[in-house]
Amino acid sequence: MYKTAIMIIQIVGLYLIYLAGRGIQNLFDLFIPGSVIGLVLLFILLSLKIVPERFLKEGISFMIRHLPFFFVPATVGVISYAYVFKGKGLLLIVIGLLSTALVMAISGLVTQWMVRRREEA
Amino acid sequence: MKALFFALLMVLFTIAAYRVSVMIYGKHRRVYTTPVIVSTILVILFLLVFQIPYETYMTGGKWIDELLGPAVVALAYPLYQYRDILKRMLVPVVTGTMVGAVVGISSGLLLSKWAGFSDLIIHSLVPKSVTTPVAMSISESTGGVMPLTAVFVMIAGIGGMLIHPLVMRYSGLTHRIGRGVGMGSASHAIGTAASMERDTLEGSISTIAMVLSAVIVSVLAPGLTLLLL
Repeated sequence: MYKTAIMIIQIVGLYLIYLAGRGIQNLFDLFIPGSVIGLVLLFILLSLKIVPERFLKEGISFMIRHLPFFFVPATVGVISYAYVFKGKGLLLIVIGLLSTALVMAISGLVTQWMVRRREEA
Repeated sequence: MKALFFALLMVLFTIAAYRVSVMIYGKHRRVYTTPVIVSTILVILFLLVFQIPYETYMTGGKWIDELLGPAVVALAYPLYQYRDILKRMLVPVVTGTMVGAVVGISSGLLLSKWAGFSDLIIHSLVPKSVTTPVAMSISESTGGVMPLTAVFVMIAGIGGMLIHPLVMRYSGLTHRIGRGVGMGSASHAIGTAASMERDTLEGSISTIAMVLSAVIVSVLAPGLTLLLL
């Protein structure tokens, strides 16, 4: 019971950081999602030790462990868009796969090349 | 009061579907038994059987949706945990991830543009390489459709997991750090899970690349879209 209460308070904390991120997004009229601004904000808070790890640890582990749960309602929305993948829409799957293969190969090879050059140096 | 009760019921059902899906995944670990896929199918079946429209489901679903924001914020923690590896490999990892972000956005955009798809579909497809909650926020802010984006994210994730042995073999991608960046940049959390099973260093790098990619793509996507569309 005590642990659950702590966890809920920590999740509220994460939610407040998210709201701060959204506030910044609105304030500067940014395209970057408020949640990502919140992520960067939390990273800075942790790195500068303004917020100690232990203040949020349980809440963070809970959110990350159950990450898939939080996007179920949004993915269910595909029932309203199933028609997109009919006929010519099947091509979208091919495009998705091709683009994914390109990202994987190119980003990986660039990194591999740079790492090997450092290892040799 | 009745509406509130119904919304609560939808939330409880989603939790039940998720728990069942996690149980199934614990027993049969396959690509297609990933909890997101199974719980989504369970909820869709439930809605179809009881003839509940999506909008009605979302009176409860939006409460869960609201928690996506703090869930993304939580991803700062793995990035913080691996800050030492990140510091040592900063330049190669950030450069590779950045190149991956540009390749992902522009290839997805140009291919679907040449194939003649509508702007709505293109905007939904562009952020496919990053983790679902971030991809959906990007899609929302650039004029895409969130559920459609979720499907493209699944194609990038599950597709990437299925084709990565082939891609790595034919491109000569053998270094653990390079592989980690490739998996995290292209196939977000699903790719990271596959990397983690092979090697913890590759998996950690993949986690870093996934989170970095989420940040980089959300910064680059709006501008690149304007430029290329």
